[in-house]
Amino acid sequence: MSDHKAPISAIARKDISDAKRDRFILTITIFLVLAALASLLTGAIAMATDVATYNDAKATLLALGKNADTFAKPEFYPLRLLRGAIEQIEIIGAVLGILTGFRAAASERGRQTLALIMTRPVKQWQFLAGKLGAGAALLSAGLGVVFLLAALLLAATSGIGLSGNDLLRILIVWITSSFYATSFFLLAFISTLWMKRPANALLFSFIVWLLLVLVAPQIGDTLDPDNQVAGGVFKQLQVPKAEQNKIKASYATFETVRNDIEVSSITKHYERFTFAVLGIKDTYTGQPLGPILIEKSGDFFWIIFATIGLTGLMFSRRLKSNRLTKE
Amino acid sequence: MHSFPRSAPLIIAGQSVLYIFRERTVAMLSALFVVLVLISAYLGWSATSTVNAIYADAAVYLKGIGQTVPANPVLDISPLSLLRNMSIYVSLIGALAAIVIGYQLIASDRKSGVVPILGTRPMTKLAYARGKIAALATLLAALMAVAAVISVSTFLLLPQFTLSAHGWLKLFGFFGLSYAYMAMFGLVALATAAQSRSESVGLLLPVTLWLTVTFILPSLTSNIHPTAAINPISALAPAPDTPFFHWTGYLVGPFSIAESFKYLSAGLLDFLPPGAVARSAISPLADLAIAFAAAAGLATLALCRMDMTRGDYNV
Repeated sequence: MSDHKAPISAIARKDISDAKRDRFILTITIFLVLAALASLLTGAIAMATDVATYNDAKATLLALGKNADTFAKPEFYPLRLLRGAIEQIEIIGAVLGILTGFRAAASERGRQTLALIMTRPVKQWQFLAGKLGAGAALLSAGLGVVFLLAALLLAATSGIGLSGNDLLRILIVWITSSFYATSFFLLAFISTLWMKRPANALLFSFIVWLLLVLVAPQIGDTLDPDNQVAGGVFKQLQVPKAEQNKIKASYATFETVRNDIEVSSITKHYERFTFAVLGIKDTYTGQPLGPILIEKSGDFFWIIFATIGLTGLMFSRRLKSNRLTKE
Repeated sequence: MHSFPRSAPLIIAGQSVLYIFRERTVAMLSALFVVLVLISAYLGWSATSTVNAIYADAAVYLKGIGQTVPANPVLDISPLSLLRNMSIYVSLIGALAAIVIGYQLIASDRKSGVVPILGTRPMTKLAYARGKIAALATLLAALMAVAAVISVSTFLLLPQFTLSAHGWLKLFGFFGLSYAYMAMFGLVALATAAQSRSESVGLLLPVTLWLTVTFILPSLTSNIHPTAAINPISALAPAPDTPFFHWTGYLVGPFSIAESFKYLSAGLLDFLPPGAVARSAISPLADLAIAFAAAAGLATLALCRMDMTRGDYNV
């Protein structure tokens, strides 16, 4: 190993072993796994109900001597069951990123070890790179467990099984999720290193999280006219899709404002990309992966560039000597 | 020897309230809550107006193809329902602001090292607890009062707004309910900040509780995903009609206090869907009352058992 890499690796290994001992990070990871799996399971139960309803209706028609082909057989895509899990990652995965980032910086400041590390022959960028590497690895591993268990549960509950293409889609979503959570790691890590009081940095990170993860999507969601009526306004008015688009076109300005609010949030980019790749959004269900990746590359790169931008910000500023301890 | 004034809880409460006013993070979160309350009425009005306009366009199309035009889904909508977003902002930002206020009320004392000094004064722990709870109640009342004044003022500026005496009563009932809901989380934060060894755990325990009741329990009881939980209408969608959701709704429902709050809020703000029924083993109002009493008991117990010999948190 080169001289440059050795300190990075040592700091990363030490941080991973610290995090493994820190029960709170482990608890939140388990919490995320349980939340994601609970959403998946309830989604599967709801889908099983739809299947049973279809089968009952079909049996009734056959018993009446009617042709059951008159109403279309619904198609069930197991990956769509990941919707709840993805939404939990949007919210709790981001919290996990914040907590991991906060712990990575606060533990050094709290134990007064940051000042000690800075007296060693370790360059500041090596220290930061080690911390980032450890954080990204921890988050990827935690999310890896979520997707691995979700894939197993999907295969077991859907009764349809997962193809190689499905697994590839899950792999892409896992990588994207890791970048998404890492961006929140960086937010908390940078603010905890820079702000005078670490606890305030945690609160600041939560305020940013609240704005990006909940408030911006909430406002965008609220302004969507289709969400103002239970079941959807167009569904209730029984307006076909083509006519819906025509009507929506006359509200272009309203829709632009709504969309602008939504795209200011990294969470919405994450949701749009993952919902398309997994076929959760109707228009992408059953569509080939290649064109989806091309169409949604903007959302994907938004997440990547946000993470790279925060990484650049982290390296751009020197640690202040009066920020090396807890307060 | 000078005896400690009898109004020790008042002194503690007054000093704590003044301290919180200096806290920038609390100010930021409270300001965010107030700003969202400000735009809440506008959002409701704007979205409803758009649905009305869409209905007019759809009616023209449906008449054109000779189909029956269904009733306007937002016709005869109660003006109160324009404030429906408030129920979401209270359950998201209001609850989080209450957690931060509750946490800071205790953490500030522990971090500044005054807890062991307070322990040397002729003051009971109950007086300290009463002072801190009174400070929390005052701060949240101030936040809620500002929110109420802003939302009512904004509302009065919007066109076509008239409200009967009964409507005003329901509106103030909603503010009272929101206050109790926020206070519940603030009380839990008081307790965890007093008893936890680690500073971050003291804050994160109530946050985890809030995440659980807001985003996880609704998916167990009603298959409501987190993005639906942040929409006042989608959050009230009926649960799938299966034995699993009947049972989880009945058994897990009493713990799903965010759902109880949203259900009661929808009733008070007139946007409860027709035929909506609470499926929990306990009625939503009783559920929130029990949860509030439990949080108050927990906070009192935690503060009365607080170790006055220990100051700052561990890492």
